[in-house]
Amino acid sequence: MLNILIIGNGQCGNRILDAINREAFGKKSRLAKFYSQQKYKSNVQTIAINTAVNDLKEMKFTKAKDRIHIPHLHGVGANRNVGKHVFEDNKTHILRQIEDRGNFDVCFVITSASGGTGSSFTPLLVKELKEKHDYPVYAIVVLPFREEGTLYLQNAAFCLRDVRESGVDGIILADNQFLKQMGGNVESAYNGINDMIAKRLLFLLDALDSEMMMVTDLGDFKTVMGGGAGLATIGFYEADTEMPVRTAIQNALSPSGLLFSSNVYDEASRAMIIIKGDKERLSIDEISTEVEKLSSAVGHVFKGIIVRNGELPQVLAVLTLESASELESLYSIAVDAIKHEKEKKERVSNVKEVDRAFSQIDGMDPSY
Amino acid sequence: MFHKRKILYTIFLIFIFSFLFTGSATAVTLFNDTIEQGDGYQINNFVIDVTEVFASQEAATLRIYEGESDDDDYVYDPFLSVGDSYEFDIEDEEAEITLIDVYSGVVPRAKLLITVTDDDFINSNTEGVVDGGHSEAEYSLTPVLKISKSVDNDNINVGDVVRVTVTVENTGDGEAQDVVFSDPQQPKFILVDDILGTPGRMDVAVDDSPKKIYVYDLKATEAGTFSLNPTTASFTNSVGETFPEVSSNSPTVIVEATEDLVNATLDINTELDAYSVERNSEIQGLLRIKNTGTTSAEAVTLKLIIPDGLEYTGGDPSIEEISGVPTIYLDSFGIQQEKEIDFKLEAKEIGTYTISTESSYMYDDGVNPELQEVSSTSVTNKIYVTKGEYDYLFEQPVYVYAVPLVIIGGIVGWIYYRHKQYKF
Ligand SMILES: Nc1nc2c(ncn2[C@@H]2O[C@H](COP(=O)(O)OP(=O)(O)OP(=O)(O)O)[C@@H](O)[C@H]2O)c(=O)[nH]1
Ligand SMILES: [Mg+2]
Repeated sequence: MLNILIIGNGQCGNRILDAINREAFGKKSRLAKFYSQQKYKSNVQTIAINTAVNDLKEMKFTKAKDRIHIPHLHGVGANRNVGKHVFEDNKTHILRQIEDRGNFDVCFVITSASGGTGSSFTPLLVKELKEKHDYPVYAIVVLPFREEGTLYLQNAAFCLRDVRESGVDGIILADNQFLKQMGGNVESAYNGINDMIAKRLLFLLDALDSEMMMVTDLGDFKTVMGGGAGLATIGFYEADTEMPVRTAIQNALSPSGLLFSSNVYDEASRAMIIIKGDKERLSIDEISTEVEKLSSAVGHVFKGIIVRNGELPQVLAVLTLESASELESLYSIAVDAIKHEKEKKERVSNVKEVDRAFSQIDGMDPSY
Repeated sequence: MFHKRKILYTIFLIFIFSFLFTGSATAVTLFNDTIEQGDGYQINNFVIDVTEVFASQEAATLRIYEGESDDDDYVYDPFLSVGDSYEFDIEDEEAEITLIDVYSGVVPRAKLLITVTDDDFINSNTEGVVDGGHSEAEYSLTPVLKISKSVDNDNINVGDVVRVTVTVENTGDGEAQDVVFSDPQQPKFILVDDILGTPGRMDVAVDDSPKKIYVYDLKATEAGTFSLNPTTASFTNSVGETFPEVSSNSPTVIVEATEDLVNATLDINTELDAYSVERNSEIQGLLRIKNTGTTSAEAVTLKLIIPDGLEYTGGDPSIEEISGVPTIYLDSFGIQQEKEIDFKLEAKEIGTYTISTESSYMYDDGVNPELQEVSSTSVTNKIYVTKGEYDYLFEQPVYVYAVPLVIIGGIVGWIYYRHKQYKF
């Protein structure tokens, strides 16, 4: 049995963490926590960290003792510099809470790249964890909608760089912009995206702790995540009608299955595919053809099969990326955003100069 | 040489004389200013009116009046040229008026210097310029209030009513103003009718016929000889000077015990709002006491004896629970006095009950020196307590409801535990 730690930072991280804890109850009902037990195979510990107490209060399926409030008025207001200070001030407190949970085999830290709290806490927290422990730490980073504004884009750009430099063992990207095909209003889009992420992560955790044919395990996962540019994403497909396993694999690798826009046959560098379902439905031939197709483009592909009687095929793919054209385009808009913010700041300091001019006559009265 | 000595001598004499003169002339200046024709200057009871100013002749006529007087009733009327002085006596002191100057104009004015040899006697309330002259002056007069309190009958029996009349009369020489009367309550008597009510602040003029201030009826509750408390009044005169409080006489009323023996008789009855109730419901009770006797009852004690099966749950603050028994204690309870005391009961057990009210009190029969003691018990109608709405629930054996309760308890406990676990 694996010991797994999942940390959710900031509002986005908290909400995805809560989605994971709800998914673990297996039932969609809000009352599931009253009559059901979480179905984690492993020893899973979850911790939510936030500066905004309201975000923590909104969580429904995460135990109160697992929610850590770092008091700092109303969050850090998307300001990563403030966020970093707040983290440094509360570092010992946060780390002690984590230490208290014992030792782990693997840790996941979930955050948005573009907010203030999560995006600034995550790199610093990963760095601390890596310095103290030797278990692998993976970051699940959510990229913003492109129209959310220059401040968020700027944060996303710096956050991703900081996470990469933090010593993290890999970054799993999920892109709100790319996933927004979920439609509906922002709230239900968020919930849909969070569910997608939760489902994939739970499937992965379940797989890592399951008996598998053509064994894949945590070690394989580490190898996959260690490849490429340190960036990864996850594809998933769950058949809801009878269909050939081949189609299920193709769907998992297609844009509709992925968390981040990528042409996996061009951009992936290592991959791991886990297939779950009834033995009768999992044709080894079909699986081999599809996996071969991928490995001829990518290189090595780890594969695992979990037999579950009566279940329709489900496919999960973890892919590390060699290049990410989508990320490059994100950075090019981010550069514009950073310039824009800088200009704005200069304009503000011009205004300050005008204020200073006024302030010269503070406390004086006109005389006639 | 001789010449020189004569000069020195003269200088010495002049010096001595001037010293003597200044010594006698240490007068106090009261006024050194202008007064318009028609106005006057008041010094206590005297008013110096500037009657007419003759600006072209540099002269003026003054008229000096003493007290309230008609225009022609002046005591002096000096005609002064500028620079002239006039002296006259006021209350053993000498006043001097000098016409300093006169001024023409729509209203001609005279500038006067008024001095007196000593100003100790002057009342500051009645000194100064008076607009309109002597006819407008207010004098410090002395109102003298005489308050009389009388009764229409000074020998009555207990229970009889006596009419008290208070009148006031001003025998002084000035109006009494802001007169405030106060009439203390009369112990051992009950005010049964206040005919005039409480008087407000008033003015009492001189020589009016006596004015009725209070008229009320008192009922005697006890035998004895009583001096009625005096009515008092505080007041000022027209210039606002306060005078010492005056009091009326205290008429004496002899109250005799009625010829026959008197007694206190308490009628006590206890009523309930319902006599047939379901178990666990509330019953409202009302205890009525009335003294129908001829004297007041003392040390009245009432005990509500509530049977087991009913429970006293509260009531009027005058009810005290003394070793579990709701008890009412009244120091004294006058003739014809009535009182209602409410209380609440809860029906606890099925059954038929009555409530007893045990009373005891004492009174003075007016003849025997020792107090008479009375005690009695009154009993209410029967109260039937029937089965309550939910009583059948408890007729089943314990486990019939215990088992589901335990299960529900368990579920609630679990939900609460989970709720606590997830409540941030
Ligand atoms: N997928 C997903 N994205 C979210 C969710 N909530 C917020 N985001 C995204 O996260 C970014 C904002 O970051 P937050 O996590 O809200 O910010 P934070 O870390 O709480 O930091 P501050 O609020 O600035 O202190 C935006 O790009 C949002 O689109 C969510 O529930 N799901
Ligand atoms: Mg927030």
